[in-house]
Amino acid sequence: MHKFIAMVGTNSDESTNRKLLQFMQTHYADQAEMELMEIKDLPVFNKPESLQIPEQAQAMAAKIEEADGVIISTPEYDHSAPAALMNALEWLSFHIKPFADKPVMIMGASYGALGTSRAQAHLRQILDSPELKARIMPSSEFMLGHSLQAFDDAGQLTDNQKVAQLDSLFGEFQMFVEITKKLKNSHAATYQDVRGMDWTKL
Amino acid sequence: MKLVGIAGSIEDKSYNRLLLKFMANHFSDTVDMEVLDIQDVPMFNQSNDQTEGEAVQYLKRKILQADGVIIATPEHNHTITAALKSVIEWLSFKIHPLSGKPVMIVGASYYEQGSSRAQLNLRQILESPGVDAVVMPGNEFLLSNVKDAFDDQNNLKDARTVSFLQSTLGKFATFVKMVNAMDAEAHADDWKKEDLEAKGEVETTIKGVDMHAADWVEQAAAKTNAAEGDDYVKLDRGVLTVNQLNWFLNSMPMELTYADANNQFLYYNHQMDGDKMLASRTPAQAGNPLADCHPKRAVPGVKRAVHMLRTGETDLFKLPVPGIPDKYIMHYYQALHDDKGEYKGINEFVLDLLPIVNYYLKQTGQVLAADPNAKTDAVSGASTKAAVAPKPDEVTGASADTDAKPVEPAVDEVSGASADVDAEPKAVVVPTPEPEVDSVSGASSN
Ligand SMILES: Cc1cc2nc3c(=O)[nH]c(=O)nc-3n(C[C@H](O)[C@H](O)[C@@H](O)COP(=O)(O)O)c2cc1C
Ligand SMILES: Cc1cc2nc3c(=O)[nH]c(=O)nc-3n(C[C@H](O)[C@H](O)[C@H](O)COP(=O)(O)O)c2cc1C
Repeated sequence: MHKFIAMVGTNSDESTNRKLLQFMQTHYADQAEMELMEIKDLPVFNKPESLQIPEQAQAMAAKIEEADGVIISTPEYDHSAPAALMNALEWLSFHIKPFADKPVMIMGASYGALGTSRAQAHLRQILDSPELKARIMPSSEFMLGHSLQAFDDAGQLTDNQKVAQLDSLFGEFQMFVEITKKLKNSHAATYQDVRGMDWTKL
Repeated sequence: MKLVGIAGSIEDKSYNRLLLKFMANHFSDTVDMEVLDIQDVPMFNQSNDQTEGEAVQYLKRKILQADGVIIATPEHNHTITAALKSVIEWLSFKIHPLSGKPVMIVGASYYEQGSSRAQLNLRQILESPGVDAVVMPGNEFLLSNVKDAFDDQNNLKDARTVSFLQSTLGKFATFVKMVNAMDAEAHADDWKKEDLEAKGEVETTIKGVDMHAADWVEQAAAKTNAAEGDDYVKLDRGVLTVNQLNWFLNSMPMELTYADANNQFLYYNHQMDGDKMLASRTPAQAGNPLADCHPKRAVPGVKRAVHMLRTGETDLFKLPVPGIPDKYIMHYYQALHDDKGEYKGINEFVLDLLPIVNYYLKQTGQVLAADPNAKTDAVSGASTKAAVAPKPDEVTGASADTDAKPVEPAVDEVSGASADVDAEPKAVVVPTPEPEVDSVSGASSN
């Protein structure tokens, strides 16, 4: 059974993105093990000269390294990913590389109709940058619009069509994780390249 | 032109901040630019609203007061820094100070691409509806390989880069003027909404007392159980009794009037009867809406003036009232703000400058002489800056219609003579040929 990290893309106490991930956690309990990861309480990234990374970020990195894949659910703030999520990814790319070649699935929930389309594109671009170099599942999007109305009191997604769509994407992601593993083995050299990538040495 | 610069980096040593500081120094002839700090801004958190905190309020104030904003962005992971994004989120959550603001994006990064992707991202973020900034199109300033770009004096080394930056800044100055002119046109009629009837209310409005009542002061005091007489009042730096406060305010060498943000005339320092004042007020007027204190024809002028102070177009305007024998009466209208910069009303203070000028001349042994180069007619008080000509006494507490004559100013309403700019002097000070020594030095020993 695959082990996934489910990263909550916000530091907000109340979050429909967190709800979405929690729903998946129970809904797919028989298919995969999902652990929720919170990004709040990290200090604002300031590129410390000491290269010292907060313990919380180190612990997060270790968990990501161990996992078969990462699922990130992002809100949309100002047509982009929230600062809190960008901040976590800055720490997780500062002289550590937990995301290198890691299979990642991007999704998102928003109050409005569009369901984070622009934030997801933004996040894709970030995860694709050389220090992160995640393996983002291509041609897949899961957008949950009107997210405040999407769940019932028991935390279940009420729209069956949405659930069916999520089921198929989740199955796809499981396959994507397997394919990426094979690719990674045959491209061990590229992998080493990414590991060696350092902005300060350019 | 007043600009503020924001560097999207909170590192102690940031090349983007260096770039902004260089621009502020090097182009100080063209623009007045202040570089703002974002170090103290907390990470944005929807469930822990810190909009009212000092760090965010400081940025809000500075941005609102500026004509335009320059943002220098680093590039981290192909996008802007979380530190900068967090600032923008605060400025698009409960408050929207960037709305309609002209913004120029520049950026410095270690690598050859010089923040190109971060700049593109930033443009998209700034143009989202919650932020609603007006980003200058068609121009890009990218500073790549930034570690080699500055000399040890923190100046940009490459002359072509400097001249390109200068031309970009020149274009931005034009852009700022264009955008702000459009904005001014769109808001040209906003002053008409100024409510001189004081129908609204502010936190301090005393409810349930008729503003028009002649004994409003007594009723309002009873209603609020107001401190009086020997009751102590704690002030910003001191403690006085209400009596002491009255003696103090009544001893001011000027007439003071307070009208609150709801355009209600709350107070004047009651030194003497209205007919002896430079700008008459009567005890029954306290509490009145400003509309009650003015003749109808004055209302547009008052509305414009109050609006200018409320919106921060000016914090102080000065209105000379020439043409009165042996006096040079000035009406000053000073906007009041709380420590967060929120508009809290108007302090109108009225005084005669002539005794002060005469004293100065006598003490320094000088006389007034006409200035042949004076551009403006001091009698009309005309000036070119603002298209507003409220009459004196028409802004705050003013006056029974009967005393309109002596204070009727010669300011030309039709020509749009300015209220917030001093009239050009018609006289310059020249030394008297042989001053009496004692009056100059004041050194007489007897
Ligand atoms: C986590 C991290 C990610 C970075 N990603 C990029 C990048 O995607 N593109 C780039 O040109 N530089 C990147 N850099 C290097 C930046 O160019 C450099 O930090 C620059 O932003 C410095 O600007 P400053 O001195 O104003 O902070 C990155 C640096 C860090 C620490
Ligand atoms: C500062 C700020 C900016 C926002 N900008 C957007 C936006 O550009 N597009 C959008 O669909 N929702 C926007 N929203 C509302 C979000 O839809 C909503 O807060 C978030 O996506 C819901 O995620 P959550 O329930 O996990 O917090 C914004 C909210 C905040 C606080």
